Formats: sequence, C-alpha cells, structure tokens
Amino acid sequence: MNTPNRRQALGAGLAVSALAGLSACGGGTVGAADAGKPVKGGTLRVGITGGNSADTIDAHIPVNNGDVCRSVNLYNALYGWDDDSQVVPLLAESFEANDDSTVWTCTLKEGIKFSDGKPITPEDVVFSFKRITDPDDPKTAAANFTMLDKVVPTGERTLEFRLSEPNGLFNDAVAEYTAGIVPVDYDPENPVCSGPFKLKSFTAAQSTVLVPNEYYFDYDKTYLDEVELLNFNDDDALINALLSTQVDAIAGIPLALVEVIGADERMSILNSKTGMWLPFTMRVDKKPFDDVKVRQAFRLVVDRPQMIEQVLSGYGTIGNDMFGPLSENYPKFPQRKRDIDKAKKLLAEAGYPDGLEVELVTAPIQSGAVEAAQVFAQQAADAGITVKIRKVDATTFFGDEYLKWDFAQDFWYTRDFMPQVISCALSESPFNETHWDDAKFNKVFDKARAIPDAGERRDYEHELQKMLYDEGGYIVWGFANQVDAFQKYVGGLVPNSTGRPLSGWRFDRVWIGEV
Amino acid sequence: MFGKVIGKRLLFSAFILIAVSLLVFGATLLLPGDAARAILGQQATPERIAALNEQLGLNDPAWLRYFHWLGGLFVGDFGTSSATGGSVSALLGDRVWASFVLMGLAAIVSVPLGIGLGVYQALHRGGRRDQAMTGASLVFAAMPEFVIGIGLIAIFATSVFQILPAVTLAPPGEPVWNRPEQLILPTLTLILVVTPYIVRMMRATMIEVLDSGFVEMARLKGVPEKRVILRHAVPHALGPVAQVVAIQLAWLAGGVVVVEFLFRYPGLGQALIDGVTYRDVQVVQAISMLVAAVYVVVNLAADVVGILTNPKLRSAA
Amino acid sequence: MSTDANSLDDLKSAATDAAEVPKESQTTYVPFYKRVLAQKQGKIGLTITLVIVVLSLCGPLLLPWATGNTATEFVTKPFSPYGLFGSDNLGRDVLSRFLAGGLTLIVYGVLATVLGMVVGAIIGMLAAYVGGRFDAVIMRLNDVILAIPQLVFALLAITVLGPQGWVLVTVIGLTHAPRIARVARSATLGVITEDYIKAAEMYAMPRWKVLLRELLPNITGPLSVEAGLRLTYSIGYIASLSFLGLGLQPPAADWGLMINENRIALSIQPWGVLLPVIAIALLTIGTNLLADSFARATASTSVEA
Repeated sequence: MNTPNRRQALGAGLAVSALAGLSACGGGTVGAADAGKPVKGGTLRVGITGGNSADTIDAHIPVNNGDVCRSVNLYNALYGWDDDSQVVPLLAESFEANDDSTVWTCTLKEGIKFSDGKPITPEDVVFSFKRITDPDDPKTAAANFTMLDKVVPTGERTLEFRLSEPNGLFNDAVAEYTAGIVPVDYDPENPVCSGPFKLKSFTAAQSTVLVPNEYYFDYDKTYLDEVELLNFNDDDALINALLSTQVDAIAGIPLALVEVIGADERMSILNSKTGMWLPFTMRVDKKPFDDVKVRQAFRLVVDRPQMIEQVLSGYGTIGNDMFGPLSENYPKFPQRKRDIDKAKKLLAEAGYPDGLEVELVTAPIQSGAVEAAQVFAQQAADAGITVKIRKVDATTFFGDEYLKWDFAQDFWYTRDFMPQVISCALSESPFNETHWDDAKFNKVFDKARAIPDAGERRDYEHELQKMLYDEGGYIVWGFANQVDAFQKYVGGLVPNSTGRPLSGWRFDRVWIGEV
Repeated sequence: MFGKVIGKRLLFSAFILIAVSLLVFGATLLLPGDAARAILGQQATPERIAALNEQLGLNDPAWLRYFHWLGGLFVGDFGTSSATGGSVSALLGDRVWASFVLMGLAAIVSVPLGIGLGVYQALHRGGRRDQAMTGASLVFAAMPEFVIGIGLIAIFATSVFQILPAVTLAPPGEPVWNRPEQLILPTLTLILVVTPYIVRMMRATMIEVLDSGFVEMARLKGVPEKRVILRHAVPHALGPVAQVVAIQLAWLAGGVVVVEFLFRYPGLGQALIDGVTYRDVQVVQAISMLVAAVYVVVNLAADVVGILTNPKLRSAA
Repeated sequence: MSTDANSLDDLKSAATDAAEVPKESQTTYVPFYKRVLAQKQGKIGLTITLVIVVLSLCGPLLLPWATGNTATEFVTKPFSPYGLFGSDNLGRDVLSRFLAGGLTLIVYGVLATVLGMVVGAIIGMLAAYVGGRFDAVIMRLNDVILAIPQLVFALLAITVLGPQGWVLVTVIGLTHAPRIARVARSATLGVITEDYIKAAEMYAMPRWKVLLRELLPNITGPLSVEAGLRLTYSIGYIASLSFLGLGLQPPAADWGLMINENRIALSIQPWGVLLPVIAIALLTIGTNLLADSFARATASTSVEA
C-alpha cells in the first residue's frame, strides 16, 4: 500500500502554497472561516457548464463534468483519491498484493450497505467488474483492467483479483471513479447507490437532485439535506448564476476572471494546485523531432514562468518536462529554464543553423490550449524557430489524425507517474502521442510495474523519469490550478489536487453555514 | 385566378425547399471525420464506435441517408447531434421558442416604429430632422449587428451605466421570458438593425404617395390634412412596405445568430454557432433548413399579400 | 417601387435608390465622381473610408513607432492597463494589434466583393441577354441560394471546410453573386432594347463583345451602387465571422478576432474591444455612405437621360 511519507509532506506543502496563492488573488479565502462550524441541513446548489442529452447516471460511463460529479457522489469504488491525490480506502478495508503482484486480495468494510439497505457483498464487486470489462460493451475503465483475469469471492467480506500478469499498480486502477461498485441487479435507469448520496431526480442537461444515502457508512458525517446540480450553457451564465445567488458554488471559472470574482466580498475562491498538464507533444519518430537535439532545443526555448503568467493568469505551477508532479517518486531534477543560446547551439548541431519552421496543431481542447500555442510560437521565434499555428476544432483534433500529429498539444488530468506512463509512454499505450517506444525504457518499466510499494519502486521510476526528462517528446511547461468559486456561507470546501472541481466533487463534507 | 398564381408560388416554394435540402445535405458529404467518434469522445472503444455507426445508419450509402434525413425532417426528427449524442429535435425544442420570442419582440417594436418614423420623415422631408434621421438610418444600416450590440453593452451594461444585464442567464428549464430585463438589449440590437430599412422604405413610398394625384385631390376637396395622411396616404404606402417588413422578418431568422451569440441568448443562433464550432453537422443542417423554411414561408406570405393588394398585379394575373 | 421584388437585398438597394435626388445636378452633365463628391454623404463617406483604409495599410508600419513591439509580442499580464490602451487577453499590446488588425479584413472584404461582382455581373447580364429558358433556370437557381441567409450559408461552408481565408472570401463572394445578378439582370434588361445594342448586333459583333463593350459600360451605375453595398456587407460578414470565432484564427491580429478574444473582459479592460468595434463601425458606415452617394449620383444621370 502507499505509505504516507514523502507524498504526505508534499501534499501538506501544496495546501500551504495554495493558501498563499489565494491571499495573493484579491482576498479570497477558503470558506470554512466564513461559514462557521459545520451545520446540519440545507441545500447546496452547484452550477456546472456542459451537459447534454447524453448525460448519464450510469456508474461506469461518465463522460463530462456532470457525469463525473454524479458518479463520484452516487457510487463508491473500492478505493478513491483524497484531496492530495493519494489512494485511500472507500468501500475496501484493505487491498493487498501477493509477492509477485499477480493476486490482489480485497477485504470489504464491515456492515456496508447499498442505498436500498441490502449489504454490499463480494458478489456485487464481481458483478461490477464484469460489467466494466464486458467484452461486448466495455465501459470507460475497461482499458485499465486488461490484465484482470477474474474476480473470485473467497469469503463473506473477501475476494481475490487474479491477474494474468504482475501488476503492482492495480490498486491505482480500482481507485478510479469509473470503477464504482454497483449491486448485482443494477439498473442504471433507476440506480441503487453505494456512495454518500442517492438519486432523487435527474433531467439530462438540466438538473440533478441528490439526497444523502441513509445506509452509507458515514451517513452521520453528511451535513446536507440535498444537493442540486444545475447545468449551464457557458461560463458567463455560470458566473452570473453565482453572482446572483442562484447557485451556491460553481465548478471551474476562467482563470483570467479569478481576480474580478474574488473582488466580490460575498464570494470565496477555491484555488487548488493540481497535476493537470497541458503539454506540447513532439513525435519522436518524425522529422525534425526524431533528432533528440531538436527536442531538447524546443524544451529550452520555453519561458515557463511567462507561460504560467499569460496562459494561466498566474494560477499554475511551473513544469519540468515531467508529468505526475504529485507522485511519491517525483524526481528532483534541475529545473529546466529558458536558454536561447543553448537552444540555438543544439539546433545548429542538429543541422538547423538558420533555424527551422514547424507546424503546431492546436485546438480548444481545454481552456488555455490555443493561448499556450500562441505564447509558445512567440517564445520560439527568439531561437529562430518559426512556429506556424494551425488551429483546428476539437472534433478534428480528436479525429482521425489524433495521436498522429507531428507537433501538437494535449490535456491530461492529475495522474501518478506510473499510471501516466501506461496511458501515454509505452508502445501499447492507448494515447502514446509522442510515439515514445524505447526498448530500455520498456524493460525498466516492466520491472517497476511488478512492485506494489512505491518506495521500493523509486530507483526504477527515477531511471524512467531521467530518460523522459533527457530525451522525451513532451514539453511539460506547467500544471494548471483548478479554480472554483462559491458563496462565503458554504463550508467544508478545501483545495483538492485531483483536478476534479469543488473538493473533488465529494459533497458529503460540505455544509451550508449561517449567513 | 388568384388560386392558380398562388398555387404556382406554393409549388415553387416547395421546389426551393427541396433544392435547399439537397444543397445542405450535399455539403455535409464533403465533411471529413467520424461522427461516431465525435459523439463518444476521445476514449471510446472501437466496439462502441462500430455499434454507434450501425445505430446511426452511417454505413448506408449517401442517397439512402438523404432520404432518411429528408423523411425525418417532415416528422420533426432532425437526427442525432454528434456533439451531444442526443436528438437534435430535443436540443432545438426550447430554443426555437426562445428565438421566436426575441424575433417577435423585435418585430412588434420595429414595424410600427419604422412606419411611424418613415411617415414623420416624409411629412417633414428636406428638413433638418429628416436629414438627421436619414443619416442615422444610413449609419445603423451599415454596421454589423455585433458592433451595434457591443456598443449597447458598453453603454448600458458595463462601461457607462450598469443598469442592464449584458448576458442572458437562463437557468435550466426556465423560459427566457421569465426575466424580461435580459431581453431588452438583444431586442434593442435587432430593432436598431431592422428599423432603418423599414424607415427608408416607408419614407420613400410615402413621399411618392403624397406627391400623387389622389392625395392632391383629397386636399383640394378640403379633407383635413390629418385625415388625408391617415386615411388616404398611409394605407396606400403600406402595401409596398409590407413587403419590406416581411423580408425583414425573414432576415431576422438569420440575423439573430450573431445577436444570440453576443448576448449568450439560448436560442437557435447560439445552437448554430455551437454546432459549427464542434462541427456538429446534424445541428447545422437542421438549423439551416429551419431558417430557409422561415424565409420561404414569409416570402410566400409576402407574395400572396402583394398579389392580393396590388391592382396592377391583380389584373396581370 | 416594385412590389414583385422578393429579395431583401433588392429592397435594400431599392431603399437606397429611393433616396431623394438632389435637384441641382439634374440640368447639366457632371462626371460621376464629381456628382458623388458634391453630396455631403459622398464627402463624409469617402473621408471616413480613406482614414480607416490608410490606417489599416500603414498600421503595420506604425507598429514600432507605437509601442516598439510587433502585434504578437507580449508586454505584461493579461488585461492590465499597461500602455496607451492596455493589454489584451494574453498580455499583448492592444494598440499594436489594433494597428495591425485591419488589413486582412479590408483585403478579404474587397476580394469577396470583387468575386461576387464579377460572377454576379456575368450571370445577370447573360441571363438578360440570352433570355428564355436559360434566364428562367438561372433565376430559379438564384432563388434557391437566396433562401439561405448569407451568414448561415457561410457557417454551413465553414462547418464543412473549416475557417480558412479562402473559404470566407469564396463563400461570401459567391453568395453575393445571385443578389448582384438580379441587379445586373434588370439593369441589362433596361438597356438591351436600346438602338446601339441592336446596331451592334446587326453588325454581327460577337456576343461577348456586345456584352463587354456595349452593355457593361451602360450598367456601371447600378453596378457601382451594388459594389458599394456589397463591400459594406462583405466587411460586416467577415468581421462577424471572426467575432464568432469562425473567421480568422489566432494568432492573427484581426479586429473581429480581437473583439472575440477580449469580450470577456469588457468591464475591466474595454479598449481591446472598443478600438476594433469603433474601427469596424466607421469603416462600414463610410462605405455605406459612399454607396448611398453612388445611388444618388446614378439617379441624377438617369433623370437627365
């Protein structure tokens, strides 16, 4: 299991710096101070953008913001992430691997029940994973469980996950919110829930009403009587709803407007440092990026502090061409800084003494993406690199050419180093956009993957990280903060590094204070 | 006699709509990309994509899809939105009414206003006020809608006064007319765009009528001036102006697009822009057809009115 | 005032045509440009248009003088009041981007207008000159295109082909064409029965020569009015599309795009929006006043003739 050592310390540091960031942004403070002591009762109205007629309350196919929010509140997985993106137990009491990480044994908490009062049994867990990995209709999380051979109940509260190959990271996979536990007779239209809330009503693209699940094991610690989730068309409508007290909290505000909203005395800003990254992706198998010197030069032309300032309005942390900043084994490599002379020298050595011209494909895939491309183009010009920006729409970006662009961008939520590598840096990774495929890297990774303990994995991870840091195809210039806003009377919202808004969507800790 | 002419116009309108539908559908065949992937998103599995392709009938030949689509239009089924995965009809349902409210309000204000101002100008032609109003109508007729709209926002919502909302806030499920103050600026923008044309037309027609023989005659007979204008001149000028009014109404169906986007008004125009931004072909097709239908119907009505009221055309028919 | 016209644009033109004819120019022949400039509208329109065009043409040259920067460089934090007119959403100097942002709009507007005029005039003149079934078919096809508002048509094209410069110019030009064709057709019908045309035909002059040498010069009046109007609309449509985020794409410095990018901060940093808005307003007002004075100038010769 992940023992809380270095990462805990890092998490604490983040909480402090997040607070520091808050005080710098126009007097917004974390709500608890204003909302007073926790109070029982009341309705929390939450505004979100997006939502459409395909919105779902199905535990296993969440797509957009609202789906994830519903999924997190209605269903518990065996494990989950806490505010520092650490894996913590939810329905499981423990989750242990055998020596070679091929069998994981799970013990469920005692006396846990679904919202209809029936006990949560190992059979329900078996059913849930069958449903996720159904070969005829694989759900969102199916790709995480390709190595899962079968799930076998072994006792009243215990079951075994038998894997076809060693995997020390399996506990990370079961902690995804897409792996929620549902009962054997699960009806996604009329769901029985395992999470802190159950469904009262749901209208796609409009509103969702949740009420506390009285059979939830921490029901006593739930403060609210009701949660109302309201969909809005866009940021303007969302912000207006907050300012006119139509909603109590909104998920995600444009970073350029943080100061304006924070200036309103009635509002609190929730500024969370996260591991969300918005990298530039260079294909290591395509000219000119097949030359490692070109990749290094491109990484050296980025003025990272300026990127944070201009693209994220200052609400972010500087990146060091390395993902997974909240990983326990995040390396302490020297911070890469802008060095135009060295970049020019590298380009000259790579055969481009007079600079070169590249096309950067960008799309509005995440707020800040197109802006980042523009700022990069400007910064690269100083080193003789002419960046031609090609802006396409998001559908085209994720269309046939996705993962094939020579030089483009992408967006990733907070993930630890190892799962992130599985997603994007192995030849079999589903999203290997830089086409990174290194024999030595793969070998080391296979060794690391079999070790469940992060501490014991450290040396291998550092070796992998060093390779990516020196030669990889990502330009990781920074990590964006998640910034939300809420009325001062809302209590219990704290910075959360997962990138999911409003304390990772978990509303069981939130209360409506005295105004 | 009339029936035959009107029937001919009706047939012609149907022909136009069919031709437009061919044009609109044909255009989308040029579109690259994968609608099923667009619906299911970046992380969809190939199985789910294949299933959806089958479900949406995307494996059928183009002509079959065209007839399915065309058939759907008649029963109000506009297909499946690739951006949202839901039915286009459901997406557009409330928005049609929201847009209709906006256009209706603009029409209710600008038609009498335009006619009144036109008459006033015609009666005071050549005067300083007439010239000023002519200049003003030239100015407003020139500017794109969004320029006028931003001007209004800067004056009434942000920079000068802060008395009106700059964007429309529509909580889910609540109709837009529940908050009338939000309708003021978008409606005013449309009015400022539409009215100048009606004013100019009314002024010109009115001048023609005022100079004509029968008005002279009425005056010579000693009919009071007020009565001359209200009972004799204005009704005669209204005929041609009705045509302009009809055409302005048809124009509103397209012009409302930019205004809705500017004020984040939850109508068809906003849906169209979203559709284009996300390359949501079904939505763009559906709205293009709706707008074309409005245009054709309003023009048909104008033609009928024109045929019925114009003695020259009546005899020609 | 024709009641059978069933196009908005005809009536827009008609409404412009209906402007009162100044009495003093009815007696003696005065060259067209002098007739235009003799009017207040003409003078004001020409002045405004020239000022904006000169500003757009010279703007890029003025950049170093204005701020010491190019239009894509960064100066400071987003939406800060640094410099004369502050900075935009990415911290770029608003004045620089304003100076650099008019050229493409004007060039695209002119190109779309020229395309529409050439195609529309050819179709209209041919339809009138050839007549018969050809005329009927062409005019029916025109009606089909007219049934979709220009902006909606442009949006349809952009959905399919993407927001590229040539798409904007082509689709706006081509959707102008049927509207211009109507005007060209009715103007041609007006002169086609004149004696000199008949004379030219009698001398067995090739058809294209008749069209080019005899017909075209005699319909330049209505066509010039049309050109002025279409230029106004072209600029309006292209600016609108950029404003919708579907025209010129970042990092282009363009007035419409600037408005789009800075709109969210209208209340904290208005200049990024207001400068380009004012410029677009002035430009379209200027060209529309010119079109209006063309109409008056044309009307006065037809009275004379």
